[in-house]
Amino acid sequence: MFITFALITLLSALGMLLQKNIIVAGLFMVGAFFGVAGLFVLLANPVAAALQIIVYTGAIMVLVLFVIMMLNSHEEEKAQSPRAIQRWLSIAVVAALAVGAVKLVFASPGLKALAIRGAAMPEAMTLQKVGLTLFADHVLGFEVAGLLLLAAMIGAVALTKRNL
Amino acid sequence: MDKLASLLHTTPAIVWMALKIVIVFGGVMSLAAIFTWVERRGSAMIQDRIGPNRAALFGKIRIIGLAQILADGIKMFFKEDLIPTDANRRLFWLAPFLAFVPALLGFAVIPFGKSFMSGGHTYHLSVLDPGNGMGMLYPLAIGGMAVYGVLVAAWSSNNKWSILGGMRASAAMVSYEIGMSLAVVAIFMTAGGYDPSEIITAQGHLPWTWNVVRQPLGFIVFFTCMFAETNRLPFDFAEGESEIVAGFNTEFGSMKFSLMALAEYSHMMTASALIATLYFGGWQVPFVKDPSVMLSVACFVLKLVFFAWVFVWIRWTVPRFRYDQLMRLGWKRMLPLSMVNLVFHAWRMSQGH
Repeated sequence: MFITFALITLLSALGMLLQKNIIVAGLFMVGAFFGVAGLFVLLANPVAAALQIIVYTGAIMVLVLFVIMMLNSHEEEKAQSPRAIQRWLSIAVVAALAVGAVKLVFASPGLKALAIRGAAMPEAMTLQKVGLTLFADHVLGFEVAGLLLLAAMIGAVALTKRNL
Repeated sequence: MDKLASLLHTTPAIVWMALKIVIVFGGVMSLAAIFTWVERRGSAMIQDRIGPNRAALFGKIRIIGLAQILADGIKMFFKEDLIPTDANRRLFWLAPFLAFVPALLGFAVIPFGKSFMSGGHTYHLSVLDPGNGMGMLYPLAIGGMAVYGVLVAAWSSNNKWSILGGMRASAAMVSYEIGMSLAVVAIFMTAGGYDPSEIITAQGHLPWTWNVVRQPLGFIVFFTCMFAETNRLPFDFAEGESEIVAGFNTEFGSMKFSLMALAEYSHMMTASALIATLYFGGWQVPFVKDPSVMLSVACFVLKLVFFAWVFVWIRWTVPRFRYDQLMRLGWKRMLPLSMVNLVFHAWRMSQGH
């Protein structure tokens, strides 16, 4: 199961990168989101999976595709002056990031605990638990995030509507 | 059940699962097919016409025109499958499936009857058993996917009317989803859970304890948003045949069009099932405390068919809104109403404890 979802995610991500057509690339991205949602379910966290689909594929990607359709650009624009160094630099940065991420995962305490205790089936996450954790342990972060989003929303309205 | 399972060399759980899938999806699909006919006869009734009553089995058995569904199906199958020259062929082929599958999948989490015990097992009458952790988030997530069918159909046909329809659909979907989700959150709060079975038990068997009485404001918002979600008149801006030809399915013909139409009706079934579950007590039978399984299923199907009929009824009664009216209604009426509903119930709960 893990291999299936991982393959869906990776192949869709690859398809998104290689696809010249923007709308098709967006649909590949939706496929990648679905793969990640499947991985969340395998991690006994159906709430995260549902939220992933509601927020990312149900709202954000729809808005992105809406904007693309409004501008009605069917083909990708050619880069103005393609430089080889950009490509190599980006590959180097991505490789460094990947190595760093893998190192972080291998050094995490959760992995050590897993090696000692064995992979016991974790208890499934529910919406109640998410709410309790948010409001009991991470109130400050939650409120700051809420305030930031509100400020961003007001800023967006103020920028687009000159005469309210 | 146990005998059947041992005959097939599997466990009762797997047999029951397969049976449920066949019952639910077969049932929803045949109801959707029947409603294509109900819509035409219903519109005829409302407009004082007769409607399709001529199709007959073997030229003789006329059963009030029900054979029309079969005739339509055969006709759609044998029509030529046209693809416009400039269309994106693969997406054009994919779009009807993208429209049809989410419309049907949303039904999976809804309990269509009371759970029962037999031979030491508990059998739940919903494809996804309660306690799966997704609960009512699942139909919300799948409902959000439905717009991709319209979007992909619109864009792949490479037609200006289609793209206009697709853009309207995506904008309407995003605006109405917020109000709808907030209305559902108020139900989560009062029910103390987000699993459909918990929501149904919290409502009880007396009609005045159902959520429609407890949260009339939430019901109005949810009901309105369901029309936007299913792309039905008065909110069918994706299609809007008097303005943009036929919107997203202008270029679709033959079985592809048929699948699109079936997707709309399946979505209508899922939407009516959601309304019945969230606001009308799901399978609860009014005034019967402990109904038998068959009675509860019958009651649920009755509620479902009634709300599906309301969808048809409203379509042929209310004229189409204008696009800016739709947006104003969504953002300036439905969203604040939904928020008032949420805050009011939060306040009442805080007073109660």
